[in-house]
Amino acid sequence: MKILTLIRQVPDAEARVRVTNGAVDLEGATLVMDGMDEYGVEQALRLREGGADAEIVALAVGPRRNEDALRTALAMGADRAVHVETDAVLDPISLSKVVARIAQTEGIDLVLVGGQQADWDSQALGAATAERLGWPQLTWTNGLQVQDGALTGRHDVDEGNETFTATLPAVVTTQQGLNEPRYPTLPNIMKAKKKELRKDTLDQYGVTPLVRVVGAEIQARARMNRVIDGKDPQAAAAQLLELLRNEAKVIA
Amino acid sequence: MDFNLPPEVEQMRRAVLDFAHDVVEPRAHEIEATNRVPDDLTRAAADLGLFGLSIPEEYGGLGLDMVSKCALYEALGHAHMGFGGVISAHASIGTTGLVTLGTEEQKRRFLPRMATGETIAGFAITEPTSGSDAANIRTRAERRGDVFVLSGTKHYISNAPVAGLLTVIAVTDPTQGARGMSALLVEMDTPGVRVGRIDEKMGQRGALSAEVIFEDAEIPAANLLGPLHGGYREALKILTNGRVGIAARATGSMAHLVELGVAHARTREQFGRPIADFQAVQFMLAEMQVDVVTSRATWQYVAWLVDQGRSVGMEASAAKLHATEALSRVADKAVQIAGGMGYMKDYPVERWYRDQRLLRIYEGTSEIQKVIIARSLLQ
Ligand SMILES: Cc1cc2nc3c(=O)[nH]c(=O)nc-3n(C[C@H](O)[C@H](O)[C@H](O)COP(=O)(O)OP(=O)(O)OC[C@H]3O[C@@H](n4cnc5c(N)ncnc54)[C@H](O)[C@@H]3O)c2cc1C
Repeated sequence: MKILTLIRQVPDAEARVRVTNGAVDLEGATLVMDGMDEYGVEQALRLREGGADAEIVALAVGPRRNEDALRTALAMGADRAVHVETDAVLDPISLSKVVARIAQTEGIDLVLVGGQQADWDSQALGAATAERLGWPQLTWTNGLQVQDGALTGRHDVDEGNETFTATLPAVVTTQQGLNEPRYPTLPNIMKAKKKELRKDTLDQYGVTPLVRVVGAEIQARARMNRVIDGKDPQAAAAQLLELLRNEAKVIA
Repeated sequence: MDFNLPPEVEQMRRAVLDFAHDVVEPRAHEIEATNRVPDDLTRAAADLGLFGLSIPEEYGGLGLDMVSKCALYEALGHAHMGFGGVISAHASIGTTGLVTLGTEEQKRRFLPRMATGETIAGFAITEPTSGSDAANIRTRAERRGDVFVLSGTKHYISNAPVAGLLTVIAVTDPTQGARGMSALLVEMDTPGVRVGRIDEKMGQRGALSAEVIFEDAEIPAANLLGPLHGGYREALKILTNGRVGIAARATGSMAHLVELGVAHARTREQFGRPIADFQAVQFMLAEMQVDVVTSRATWQYVAWLVDQGRSVGMEASAAKLHATEALSRVADKAVQIAGGMGYMKDYPVERWYRDQRLLRIYEGTSEIQKVIIARSLLQ
């Protein structure tokens, strides 16, 4: 069985980003693998550790710096990586064309992709890829097993959950709660150095973006820097409650 | 000249940094309260691979060159210094002797379990009557048949209470002075080897050091490390190598203190504005940053020299002297920027201020580094 796990790269939650010339400037910001995609890599590893005879391929489509996220996937345990290197910004529908093509040429049985792309927020990539391939798509998965060529899994909703089965090949979108992604260890980072990281160009896939980004703005929020004096813990707690209730309005 | 780290080293550096910030730092209070690094934290460090920092890949370690190793030491410098002390006493002075001098058999016997952290290591030269004057040690190792009989007392030995293996420098030929000393690999469960009093220190809690007492302990001759009677020269090499690592670790600690200083200066308001608006505070931050930049450039240069196979006696001393003295200046300013909070136990700067002081003392005091540097100029 072959698993394709898609990797996006996003700024670290604590990174400082700027806007220069109408575009988000990531120069100097710490970039990490999208948390949603980490669940995908982790789940692929768990399926293999659970007995599935699987080869795990990590895929990134994007600028050169994406290599770092792919190396993280390799250090976590993916077997090899494919990097379609491009500075073009692809909308999810265009991107799905690349993903679907690679799924076909690589003979992939299972595509794992983050449920909600932190960078586009469209939730469309998994669906568009499944549509192109004519495969079933299972969304927002909280539990996933593979047995005898079939998937079983769980999908949590606010009111409860549903369980499902589907035959492979399939596209699965992940979400928080699916698993607890592992940290790459130092020896595994060293071992990943020897794993294959194939470079493709976007031209090979005949894809041009359908949507063009023309501007970006960052909402600036200033901190109030209010510090509560903690010398009298009772008074401090009361004051905190009062602020949470009446000013921040986060509790009733 | 290329200052870029290879991508995998950059990735490891980040992993260590994340570990320092996200895993170690939240446990700092616990380490301070108990004076122990909690077992699960030691295990997490082992799982990450920190104990194999200076061990070749074929024995289960990371197989890094000096620049890469020091890049990780710098990242480790961001962690609680007692925690960092445990790792570096093991990975630096505790391991490098065996890696550079050990026979294949010795390396196979010890390194794999040192790489996993199952066996923690340390290094022992200092004695109650012989500190800076390390050539004057008295611990005796007398060859009798196929054992060395070891007797004497070492003190201030880092990791001794938790170690499985110590590299011990002892006198094998009392008539030859510094040319009559040897290095022995001493397993701590050997009969006649005993850990004495655990030191009550100013700082670096969790990093335990202690007296180690040898009472006619029989050490197999197969545990002689390096040439017989060549132990002092080899010990100096182990320490020289370690000094570059200390410089890197000090750099990381400084960078951490700059982060704390910047964060505090931005958020603390007096006279109606953040204290970062005051030039006096800005200048302290600027001076701290100069110490970070110069210390980093220095360790990078000296580690690079090591990787070129050059001998770095003077340069390693310069790097250690500069970085550790700089760290003291930086820690002092970090306290000053924090004001009263900098003097309080529940603010981390107070701990860094105490913890960093050791670095100007061990692995050769600042004065001894100057002696080495001056000697290289005058000889
Ligand atoms: C917490 C801790 C952990 C340690 N861990 C280890 C370890 O793991 N293994 C180990 O072997 N040792 C260890 N040491 C010992 C450490 O290396 C020594 O303390 C250090 O080398 C200084 O020796 P000393 O304490 O005897 O001081 P002394 O040598 O007595 O020095 C006292 C003062 O005199 C100065 N001085 C001495 N000689 C000269 C000179 N010729 N010229 C100018 N000034 C001079 C010194 O610089 C210092 O200021 C540790 C020490 C501490 C505190």
